[in-house]
Amino acid sequence: MKNLSKHIFFLLALLCVAFTLMASAKATTADENATAVAQQSIVAEQPASQTVVGHFVEFIHTTGIAAADWRTLVMLVIASVLLYLAIQKNFEPLLLLPIAFGMLLTNLPLAGLFTPELFAGGQVHWELFRDGAGLLDFLYLGVKLGIYPCLIFIGVGAMTDFGPLIANPKSLLLGAAAQLGIFATYIGAIALGFLPREAASIGIIGGADGPTAIFLTSKLAPHLLGPIAVAAYSYMALVPVIQPPIMRALTTKKERAIRMKQLRTVSKKEKIIFPIVVTVIVSLILPTAATLIGSLLLGNLMRESGVVERLSKTVQNEMMNIVTIFLGITVGATATSDAFLNTQTLSILLMGVIAFGLGTAGGVLLAKFMNLFLKEKINPLIGSAGVSAVPMAARVSQTVGQETDPGNFLLMHAMGPNVAGVIGSAVAAGILLSMLT
Amino acid sequence: MNNLLAIDWNNTLTVVYFGLAMVFITLIFLVFIIGLFGKIFAPAKVLIKIKLPRWIHPAAAKHEKEEYESKRLTAEESAAIGMALHLYYDDVHDVESAIITIKKVERRYSPWSSKIYGLNNLIR
Repeated sequence: MKNLSKHIFFLLALLCVAFTLMASAKATTADENATAVAQQSIVAEQPASQTVVGHFVEFIHTTGIAAADWRTLVMLVIASVLLYLAIQKNFEPLLLLPIAFGMLLTNLPLAGLFTPELFAGGQVHWELFRDGAGLLDFLYLGVKLGIYPCLIFIGVGAMTDFGPLIANPKSLLLGAAAQLGIFATYIGAIALGFLPREAASIGIIGGADGPTAIFLTSKLAPHLLGPIAVAAYSYMALVPVIQPPIMRALTTKKERAIRMKQLRTVSKKEKIIFPIVVTVIVSLILPTAATLIGSLLLGNLMRESGVVERLSKTVQNEMMNIVTIFLGITVGATATSDAFLNTQTLSILLMGVIAFGLGTAGGVLLAKFMNLFLKEKINPLIGSAGVSAVPMAARVSQTVGQETDPGNFLLMHAMGPNVAGVIGSAVAAGILLSMLT
Repeated sequence: MNNLLAIDWNNTLTVVYFGLAMVFITLIFLVFIIGLFGKIFAPAKVLIKIKLPRWIHPAAAKHEKEEYESKRLTAEESAAIGMALHLYYDDVHDVESAIITIKKVERRYSPWSSKIYGLNNLIR
């Protein structure tokens, strides 16, 4: 708390200095015309000092400080808060840190690091690339063309153990229930006046799956990509803050203390067949989901087959890290003050958090409902992991479970719904894509 | 209010119902498929049957089996024992300073480092 107040004081001091400089620069500009004649005579008398003052004023005008307005400052404060959450609070720093820094870079006045005009109207204006595209613009093409989500999914697949899901296939139902948030938010977004394609892109935030959200939005509502990506990744980072109150509110202490039976051992053969069978079945039912599901399960097959160890390690580490840096920094770069500080973005952020909350509630409530029929009860806390956010959501289930019973280990049980959520959100995205295109 | 009435709710609700139903249908189908190939490919449980002589009384045989079952360790117990052993043997290992700098040689002169007997000395 003491640190926080220090940080706030420092930020306020910084703002005061910035405003003072801006005010002095503007005052000088205003006076310039009124005293032009007088200045001319002074120039004749004191040419050396006037030249120094003139150069100084000119210099002030070329700095970003003079070009900054309150919107820029608000965006810089938001970026600083996100950086604080990433560094100090450790909220998904791998994602939040590049996003927040991208946001910081793009809002530095006159720096021109990102050119939104190149992507105006949701289209890529290739002809403008020759004139003035920068590094961030080129990197952003990976988001715009839907390349990064698929590469990320290959990495996610290679890092995911589907064993808990294979051992307990009922987890898939919890993964399906957690998609409730997507469709409920779709209704809410339509009611707020968004078009069906925009509403679907906003709803997918509830899937808590960044790559899926980016993939679907780049297809359905590319003009909303910036706010939706920032909302999706920010909420994923804030899973430990958003989910626990909902989980506690919907469960009793007795339910939270339920201990689950140990999962059965899954053979290697099962783990190898799983990605092949699921890819074929899901792609046959929903061809539009084939890109995401195919990428996810290709990565998983690399991991489980054991014959391409080098490829598996590369997609898990080097490729995943590089794409995360590119994705994070470019997604953050789309959050310019013009694109971000408007009522539409604020309503997207609001709908996003509602979608997230409803998804969490959906998973928990279905787990409670399933307990009415099951002989071996399941701990409803694992239902909340049905929103993707691998493995953060599963870790939250474990943490909340251990608050009630420190000897209860829910992590492996929660990983089942968690990876089912990844499949579920990809399926939901495929369905929305096929229905709205 | 007028805006809400102007929305095509039929279409919206169709997307919601159909979409949600399709998510559940696809994943329920996967539940059955995974359950099915789980039954086919799951590793068979290794059951160690204890052979008891035929003349033994059924009650005594039941007691014998129960005793045998109670002595079997669950996976969690095995993991706990493994962890305890690991920690124990970790402690047994000598704790070394990890400083491997060459100690200072007390005796500075040695025929091996003698300048007089060096190969580079000129023969006088």
